Amino acid sequence: MRRRLKSMTLGLLAGTLALSLAACGTAKNTDNEGGQTSGGSSKVTLELAISKSSQDSPFIADWLIEEFEQETGIKINLQLIPAEQSTTVLQTKLAVDEVPDLIQYNLASAVTDLNLERNFEILDNEPWVSRIQNPDVLSAFGHIYGFHVSQDTGMQGVVYNKDIFEELGLSIPKNYEEFLAVCEAIKAAGYTPVFMPYKDAWAANIWPAAAFADWAAKNDPTLFDDLNSNKKQWTDIPAFEEILEQQYQIYKLGYTNADVLADSYDMAVGKFLSKEVAMMFMGDWLIQNITSQDPSMNIGLFAIPYAEDPSIGASPLGGQLFIPKKSKHIEEAKKYLEFIASPEIAQRIVDAESYVSNLSDVTTPEQPEYKQEIIDNYITPKKVTLTMDAHMIVDQNEWYRNLQDQFTGMITPKEALANWNEKFQELMKDKGAEGF
Amino acid sequence: MHKSKSMYPYYLVLPALLVYFIFFAFPALIGFYYSFTDWRLDRTTIQFIGWANFERIFSDKILLLAIKNTLIFAVVTVIGKNVLGLLLALGLNMKLKTRNLLRAIYFTPSILSILVISIVFTPILRTEGMLNGLFEWLGFESLAQAWLTNPSIVIWTISAVAIWQGAGFQMTIYLAGLQGISKEYYEAAKIDGASGWRSFWNITLPLLLPALNINLMLTLIGGLKVFSEVYVLTGGGPGNASQVVGTIILRAFGEGNWGLGTAVNTLLFVCVAIIAVPLIIFMRRKEVAE
Repeated sequence: MRRRLKSMTLGLLAGTLALSLAACGTAKNTDNEGGQTSGGSSKVTLELAISKSSQDSPFIADWLIEEFEQETGIKINLQLIPAEQSTTVLQTKLAVDEVPDLIQYNLASAVTDLNLERNFEILDNEPWVSRIQNPDVLSAFGHIYGFHVSQDTGMQGVVYNKDIFEELGLSIPKNYEEFLAVCEAIKAAGYTPVFMPYKDAWAANIWPAAAFADWAAKNDPTLFDDLNSNKKQWTDIPAFEEILEQQYQIYKLGYTNADVLADSYDMAVGKFLSKEVAMMFMGDWLIQNITSQDPSMNIGLFAIPYAEDPSIGASPLGGQLFIPKKSKHIEEAKKYLEFIASPEIAQRIVDAESYVSNLSDVTTPEQPEYKQEIIDNYITPKKVTLTMDAHMIVDQNEWYRNLQDQFTGMITPKEALANWNEKFQELMKDKGAEGF
Repeated sequence: MHKSKSMYPYYLVLPALLVYFIFFAFPALIGFYYSFTDWRLDRTTIQFIGWANFERIFSDKILLLAIKNTLIFAVVTVIGKNVLGLLLALGLNMKLKTRNLLRAIYFTPSILSILVISIVFTPILRTEGMLNGLFEWLGFESLAQAWLTNPSIVIWTISAVAIWQGAGFQMTIYLAGLQGISKEYYEAAKIDGASGWRSFWNITLPLLLPALNINLMLTLIGGLKVFSEVYVLTGGGPGNASQVVGTIILRAFGEGNWGLGTAVNTLLFVCVAIIAVPLIIFMRRKEVAE
């Protein structure tokens, strides 16, 4: 009797709980589907997931979302994801099929982090594609996956304070020896020549990523393909060792901040604003950050001077919009891309952001001085190489950690490359890459 | 007696049990299964691969370093938090005018977010930071260290910060225990001519065992599961020098290797259980009823 009572209660309880859970579920479902059934696509709400660090992206500007809703009746709901968790959150959402309808992410990282081919729609047949001038910055595996109105990938090299250079009568160094001489002169004048914020391990990758890529382009054009198919090893290339040693020498010779492993990237803008430092290995996004704080700052960019006459490193383009294959509103999501790509809207975005337009009927506005210099000094004479990051198909964090480790003085460049080679093999094998 | 027992029938635990099962036990069991698979970001199918993930854990020198670091952190913080917490409790159990204020002050660090603590300690522990500045000012230049960037001491530094933060919390538990000990024992001991040390050893400590047990358990489990202290202070760096099991799990997930990440997590769970359960049983036996 007592037992029966017990099991009855259990059943009742479980039933109640199940019911309450189900109730929550249905309530939510009707909410979603109600719109669809009653008004066709007119009341659809698109979910757009974006990292909080990209919250200034023009693709989620209030005016844009409002006008889109006015024209199509489609609402956009933003899911802002904390920056340091954006990869994990998106991976999880894709894995459990709780997918947003649009995702803003970086194309190259989408290949390594989000399994681009499996999870995202191919956009080759969209109406705006015929107007795209540089499809490479939106493509992977031979198809267009991402959407962007800009083709300005951002450049990486040595960000430098032009006023300090002028004050000391220095010119842009064209090779490593000249660079060291420039450092010496800057140090003698009481500035810190180079700021290395290598508490953030990725920041230690700017010098090698540009230099490796330039070296490969000039000496061994198939190098990254060979590395990615296991025909060559990271330890096979003595030039890599030298390049890593160069960066370490700059620190060892006392041309940097004292505590390179304690200083972090977020300090960089302040260091430039206070004229404490003259140079830093970084992308041109830093220039934008500095000049937006103080427009009177005179900042420029030159190529990583690891060897004679280097080309500048181009980062893979970031901030594209993607449509997951499992989105429930693919057509509506495509409409949003179409809306942004319409000449009038795209022109407004390109003007506001000073983009280099990627659409044939949208004109590029006048560029800021530093950008114009990059165009004149590097892009027009075709001295641009995609950095190493563009060639990597696995997570590079362990590589960054090895670079950081080099600065503790515990490992040599040779060991850093050997460690990474081992990890690289493992990651490629896990990924199922051919040849591993 | 019997009546009061039947006032609360057993089935009242069911809701709690159900929630526990759905949101903890069941996912944990699924986790055990996934730790034997090659579940990855870029696989469409998940395959059972036996012990392969675990073999990999024990052949990976960074994972082994992480296990070593976790053990160092656990042992150092268990000792540090408890010794310091007990001393603070004994001191603040005395009749001091400012004792309530002091208790509040010593407790404050444990209610601070670990992020705040990292922001406070990073400048203190820099090579040209305040701590080294203090040593220099006192004339102990030789003690100055690269606290957070020297691979061979970084895990000890993080442990010290954790002790600074946690000792106050342990103190409150010891204080509660101390206040539960009747004054009569001490009076009787005094009449018998026992020294302060003797009455601590023969009265305070045995009667404080329940508090000691719970503190040892909390600090040990917390120490083995360490993540946030390392994550915010060094992110596991420089290089991999301060990786612990918790940050290694994050690293494996970040590399898209979810099966391996789950396996490390399972291993951590099993280790915590193997260490903690016998310890609980052993210490329970030593507890005395007042």
